[in-house]
Amino acid sequence: MIEMTTKNKVRTSSGYARTILKEAFGQWSARIGFFWIAVIALLAVFSPFIANSHPYLIKTNTGISSPLLKYLEPADIILLSVFITILVLVYLRKRLMFSLLVVLVITGITSVISFSFVEPPQLVVYEKYREMEKQGKLEWVINAPIPYSAKDYLRDYGETGMEEPLSEDGRTHWFGTEQSGADVLSRMIHACRIALGIGFVATGIAMFIGIILGGLMGYFSGIVDMLGMRLVEIFEAIPTLFLLLTFVAFFGSSLYLMMVIIGVTTWPGYARYVRAEFLKLRKMEYVQSAIACGLPLRSILFKHMLPNGIAPVLVAASFGVASAILFEAILSFLGLGLVDNPSWGQMLYQAVQSASFYWWMAFFPGGAIFLTVFAYNLMGEALRDAIDPYLKKTS
Amino acid sequence: MTDVVIKVSNLKTYLEIGDMVVKAVEKVSFEINRGETYCLVGESGSGKSVTALSIMKLLPKGIANHPTGEIIFGSKQDLKPINILNVQEEDMRNIRGSRIAMIFQEPMNSLNPVYTIGEQIMEALQIHWPEISDEQARKKAIKALADVQIPDPEQRIDEYPHRLSGGQRQRVMIAMAMVCEPELLVADEPTTALDVTVQAEILKLMQNLQKRNGMSILFITHDFGVVAQIAHKLAVMKQGEMVEQGEVQQVLDNPQHEYTQKLLAALPENLKQKNRAAMLASFRESQGKNKDEKDIIKIENLKVYFPIRKGVFRHTVDHVKAVDDVSLSIRKGQIMALVGESGCGKTTLGRTLLRLIDPTEGAFFYNGHKLSSLSQKKVLPYRRDLQFIFQDPISSLNPRLNIATILTEPMSAHGIGANREERILLAQDVMQQVQLAPDYIWRYPHEFSGGQRQRIGIARSLVLNPKFIVCDEVTSALDVSVQAEILDILLTLRNERGLTLLFITHNISVVEYISDEIAVMYKGKIVEQGDTDVVISSPEHEYTRKLLSSVPRLHHRGYITRFAD
Repeated sequence: MIEMTTKNKVRTSSGYARTILKEAFGQWSARIGFFWIAVIALLAVFSPFIANSHPYLIKTNTGISSPLLKYLEPADIILLSVFITILVLVYLRKRLMFSLLVVLVITGITSVISFSFVEPPQLVVYEKYREMEKQGKLEWVINAPIPYSAKDYLRDYGETGMEEPLSEDGRTHWFGTEQSGADVLSRMIHACRIALGIGFVATGIAMFIGIILGGLMGYFSGIVDMLGMRLVEIFEAIPTLFLLLTFVAFFGSSLYLMMVIIGVTTWPGYARYVRAEFLKLRKMEYVQSAIACGLPLRSILFKHMLPNGIAPVLVAASFGVASAILFEAILSFLGLGLVDNPSWGQMLYQAVQSASFYWWMAFFPGGAIFLTVFAYNLMGEALRDAIDPYLKKTS
Repeated sequence: MTDVVIKVSNLKTYLEIGDMVVKAVEKVSFEINRGETYCLVGESGSGKSVTALSIMKLLPKGIANHPTGEIIFGSKQDLKPINILNVQEEDMRNIRGSRIAMIFQEPMNSLNPVYTIGEQIMEALQIHWPEISDEQARKKAIKALADVQIPDPEQRIDEYPHRLSGGQRQRVMIAMAMVCEPELLVADEPTTALDVTVQAEILKLMQNLQKRNGMSILFITHDFGVVAQIAHKLAVMKQGEMVEQGEVQQVLDNPQHEYTQKLLAALPENLKQKNRAAMLASFRESQGKNKDEKDIIKIENLKVYFPIRKGVFRHTVDHVKAVDDVSLSIRKGQIMALVGESGCGKTTLGRTLLRLIDPTEGAFFYNGHKLSSLSQKKVLPYRRDLQFIFQDPISSLNPRLNIATILTEPMSAHGIGANREERILLAQDVMQQVQLAPDYIWRYPHEFSGGQRQRIGIARSLVLNPKFIVCDEVTSALDVSVQAEILDILLTLRNERGLTLLFITHNISVVEYISDEIAVMYKGKIVEQGDTDVVISSPEHEYTRKLLSSVPRLHHRGYITRFAD
């Protein structure tokens, strides 16, 4: 009997969330979307290992060394360790809240460690190892699959700007080169980080503010709700794009600034969703009974109400990530995005800058933006269908 | 007058949901004569509504199919009887409304809110009789409204549904169904959502109309009291099968099938004769010494008003007086029943006692502590002693939490039990008291039936070991047999734990069964209170008398008709 009960406990430990996910990802569209995002995420985490001018291993007369590891930056190490943590947690099937906590702690610890101990050389000379190889100083060398870094402008080859894909002998650029002569494929792989990062961080900020404010508005209603809704209306009246343009003009373009601005201007949507849900849930009898049992406010808000009202927010979030990616692409396309760091929108911008049309600069980054936004929308669509009780055939 | 209007023979209706086949109706046969009322009775899920929808051919095509059976319909001389199951959808549309009409349970949802009631009745008319002019249709609609006793039909025909009360809407639905003078009226629980007094009026109206038009009625209900009032013949259904059918008199007085006997025995008015006397006697004996114990709850001139706000600044223009100057006291160990029609403020009063709603004026005391003026924070310690059981067993349990969490969380908030293991043992103890298997504790609410969920609701209120519980319509969403079990659990708990209950309900027979004292509430005020047996046998106030006489009872057959005439 005891064995059976424990089995039951494991089987239904996250009852609702699991059924929703199962239903959503039972659909082909959602699986395709999830697959694409997973590919982008893998590329983002492993970008230094996939596209890098520094070889994996070299053998010189002084011995074997790994320039790639030597040049790894703190951000690369943090991403890698977080990725491994998530893999382990998924494998161990831990609870969602616990996993989130562990991921946060690991991020904190590795940030501190890597920022204080990992010191890549200040001066990066990308062509150093190619030159060494040409001069025969290396006994053997193992290169990355794409032996060009995102900011490697191939100075040792002279003028390499805007070459068509696979047009040069001796160098393989699958997607061609861009204006300053760097490999487009390499830049696109490194840009995955920005695309995913801006989407997740901006949406995360927006969701955090939206859930807290919307939840308080919905639960307390009355005067809190009245003031909150006016605040929501004020923020909804701010045109995000123009605000971004203004800030970029004054403070220069910074990725973090963009994330924060997109985050603090898009939260009203989430706040509205949460408020509406909480207004409805407040009247539900199980919330009333939680109050009647004398449970503390924290438990009522976060244990009894939030899990029941979070679903529409998650759906909105998956669309929100897509729109944040588009915002970044738009800014970069207008020439107000990141200058040196690679981003998909910035490459699109280069495609139309001069009189001639560089098709590979438009096709590959444009396709990547399209597919990523499309993938998020597919997932959002599937999630929405899964949580909508009216669309279900059974029950 | 004995010609058959509809003859259903060997009807099977199977519903395919995914890979599952639900045998909703299994080999049902019956026939209804002209001018006769035929009742289908059964608990929820017994297939009575599916039978009605099969007759109307309203079941979705892809899901429902009929392996065997035929439904022969038609009694008019000039028309040949037809088998409804073979009729094309196009022809069926002509039959529906004009020859077979249907009225539904929810009067709130079955009228379209964007059209006036006149437009809706006239549309029904003109679809079936296209030759009728607008003026004639309007006249006929006014007459139909007059027939169902809507006051001032000439004016009210242009009103929108939201201006009508629930009872009036159901009258309009009946007018709409009757306007084409159908041969058969299918009524699916038409009075379940209405108050008893309104129910009595609607039942009487249907009987009168039937007498005048000579139409047949297929009446679906779960309430044996209603059956006793209105039916000529009845059939009892159980899990898709018809277990017994016959004349009302014969079935109700001398049920043959075991299931019918069980259903009839579970009715509170029958329970009463068996159990109550014994239970009360044993309880009174145990309480004998404490007979004059002081009031556990004392309410003094309590008022709960909800402001009606208007305009830009939301200033208050008026109040809805939900509870208006109520004084009441409940002695320890008593079951006080609070009865009244929907909207009379009984639920508001119950919730105010638990401080789920703030009182506007007046005071109430628990064991001498004035709860009404405490802040929410200071009420917290009292929440342990005062508990609430909710009406709807579906929405009163959080679907995301398992039973263990639902039951142990209140305990940990009030510091009962040293650790989680101990609390779970305590919770399992309480589950046994409400007759639930303790190993269900790891399940989620959706895995339980309605009656089981209501027991979980009771268990949740018991884990804190309260002294006083407000039970808000705890049995009204349940079938009779389940209701009987829940009532017995409550009575047993009262005896074992010395609980005091405020039992809010609209069901008089439940009141008679369970309560010691009764308070009748009408439009926010308490109009009568006293010992249950005294009030029931000799009601003083006019409203109490009307309420009691409206209750359909098994043993006063045809009473309503007599009373109303």
